[in-house]
Amino acid sequence: MIEVDRLTVSVPGRILVDDVSFTLPAAQTLALVGASGSGKTTTALALLGEHPAGARVTGRITVAGHRVTPGRPPAPGTVGFIPQHPSAVLNPVLRIGTVLRQIAARHGTSVPDALRRARLPEERSFLRRFPHQLSGGQQQRLVLAHTLLAGPSVIVADEPTTGQDAITRAEVAAELVSPGVAVVLLSHDLDLVRELAGQVVVLKDGRVAESGPAVLDTPRGAYAKALVGARPHVAATRMEPHPILTVADLGTEVLRGVSLGVARGERLAVVGRSGSGKTTLARCVAGLRAWTSGSVRLDGRPLPPSGRRSRADLARVQYVPQDARASFDPRRAVVEQVARTAVRLRGSTPPAAREDAFATMASLGLSRELARRLPGRLSGGESQRAALARALLARPDVLICDEITSGLDPITEAEVLDLLTELDVTLILISHDLPMAARIADRIAVVHEGSLIEHGPADQVLRTPSHPVTRALVGPAEEPRPF
Amino acid sequence: MNLTRYAARRLAAGVPQIAGVACLVFVMVEALPGDAAVTLAGDQPDPARIERIRAELGLNRPFAERFAAWAAGLTRGDLGVSLVSGRPVAGIVLDALAPTAVLAGLTVLLLVPLSILLGVAAALREGSRLDRALTAASTALYAVPEFALAIVLVTVFGVTLAWLPPTGLGGLTASALVLPVTVLLVRPVCSTGRLVRSAMIDVLASPYVRHARRLGLGWFAHALPNALAPAVQHLTRTVDWLLGGVIVVEAVFVVPGLGGTLAEAVGHRDLPVLQGLALLFAATTVLVNLLADVAAFRLAPRA
Repeated sequence: MIEVDRLTVSVPGRILVDDVSFTLPAAQTLALVGASGSGKTTTALALLGEHPAGARVTGRITVAGHRVTPGRPPAPGTVGFIPQHPSAVLNPVLRIGTVLRQIAARHGTSVPDALRRARLPEERSFLRRFPHQLSGGQQQRLVLAHTLLAGPSVIVADEPTTGQDAITRAEVAAELVSPGVAVVLLSHDLDLVRELAGQVVVLKDGRVAESGPAVLDTPRGAYAKALVGARPHVAATRMEPHPILTVADLGTEVLRGVSLGVARGERLAVVGRSGSGKTTLARCVAGLRAWTSGSVRLDGRPLPPSGRRSRADLARVQYVPQDARASFDPRRAVVEQVARTAVRLRGSTPPAAREDAFATMASLGLSRELARRLPGRLSGGESQRAALARALLARPDVLICDEITSGLDPITEAEVLDLLTELDVTLILISHDLPMAARIADRIAVVHEGSLIEHGPADQVLRTPSHPVTRALVGPAEEPRPF
Repeated sequence: MNLTRYAARRLAAGVPQIAGVACLVFVMVEALPGDAAVTLAGDQPDPARIERIRAELGLNRPFAERFAAWAAGLTRGDLGVSLVSGRPVAGIVLDALAPTAVLAGLTVLLLVPLSILLGVAAALREGSRLDRALTAASTALYAVPEFALAIVLVTVFGVTLAWLPPTGLGGLTASALVLPVTVLLVRPVCSTGRLVRSAMIDVLASPYVRHARRLGLGWFAHALPNALAPAVQHLTRTVDWLLGGVIVVEAVFVVPGLGGTLAEAVGHRDLPVLQGLALLFAATTVLVNLLADVAAFRLAPRA
């Protein structure tokens, strides 16, 4: 079905993909794994005949017997692409139902069927929504529905399950490998890769480091071993008994009276399924949206419910959004935007803030060269770390990270989690991934349909979950992870 | 947010806004030197005669009393009569509105498709010879003021070649509309076209248009609404400008529209007519802006 022969893609000064070859028979699944920036997405887009602007491409790509070149991409719909940032490919102006019906009309397929397969509601009221009214996980499943509607023979999925909780993740994974469709999976989620992929190609710096059917179980090379073995080392918390931030009876259109406190130095994880209200809660706490009832207190002092805050309060509670790339202005260098936080919220001079930004980004593994790039030229993991650096420049007391590890490979994920535990801040981790959150959190709060349904020390919630939703989130076959 | 409720609230807020404009115009005309009595006295401006006319028109009453009388009339739907001609203000305003509305309506009707056409054509071939030619032409034409273009067009097509009537004096027939509508169109088409072009270039490079193409969907329908969002606010200002009666264009083509009536009323200090016009302008501004905001909301539902 797919043949990639000696694909090399280079842009001036950099080789993105270096001599990559693989083949994939029809109806099978191949996974491309590797750290962010290893050339996975470039390779995947080449299957659609798409290349970065100004790239030099050599090698030969054949999909379904059709030689793919930029001038002759595969026929529309035959190769479905599910990108890592689903919000960007959804037209902000069109209702989701309109687009689904257009695709169905073009390819002669049925909308309700695709919605069911993508685990999305079929109600009229849902179809009348605009993309921004969907949660991150729903947006991702909507793009899956688009792809399924086009009746593809190949699906290229770039991190298709990052925004999904354990339950939806399994369901979406099952739909991806539907009969007769070849799947190219780009994922950092090695459990997902093990589950789905018959073949694994490990990429490192654009080259194939290792490939074969059993790479994850019996890695041969040092890099693959590191990738499989990566786990964060958790430092002990320095927790103080006094709550720094309390949320009492918080209510919005989505939240139904949530009460929660977090102590200075503590690491709290707020976990829930896609669409449960986690992000809304985080945005209220961070002062990014208004709430209708209840209160948010910082050091006992109530913050205004309008979400409007003084610069000092804004600096003290910082938010790292889920869609990190969308939170950057695409036309200004990343470092300038990161530095801006220090200028706006701490009154630093621009040159000092810039140095500060370079230093902070370097401590997160982002080089000066990378920092000077435009946001569009950073990979998913790199933009996430840049967003983290941007929040850290405010020198916050409370740091809220929304799905910070989604889309990161295991090595980078472990690194990011390590970084987070080393920070001298109170951490609120928003995630759909309970086992991941449990690795670094002291306490876990589970949110479901806008209410807090379970709340307690991390290991207790992980080992003896009391609510059925929590049990499902812990995962059906969760092997014990080394702490 | 519920769009209907939002629109109703905006309309309700428009009432005090219009009232505010009416008060402001009243005070400003009061501050101008001279009054309607001076105009009516005409060629024999002897003080006694002016005083007599003033008494007849009631202009010697205190400011507050005259404003109260005008406001009371307004609540009954009576806009008063012109101080100069004695005709009812409502009639004067409506008569002047008709030609202006025809000009403005036609202009907008042609403006929207033309600027989309030019903007999209340039955007699709960004950097090509066509794009550069359109850019050069629209920048140059945008720099030509209406009155200059009007005079040139009248001279060439109205007088020298005599293809088209040079003025609207013989009634606003189709041929008499060609020149004024062209003059009104030129600058807005250039500016709106430029906006559509740059927005379209951004949108065509966006991931969602690429996604639509991969799925075999018509990219144009996916790109256009997004590309129009920035142009809508600009279009609003243009429509507002057109409905205010473009004085220069009306003067050159002798069109008896709102602009000319306004200029005349200011010259004569004809306060009731001015007030009537102020109410109309304020109301159109409120309405046009509301429509634009509703359109903008639909074109950018995230905001």
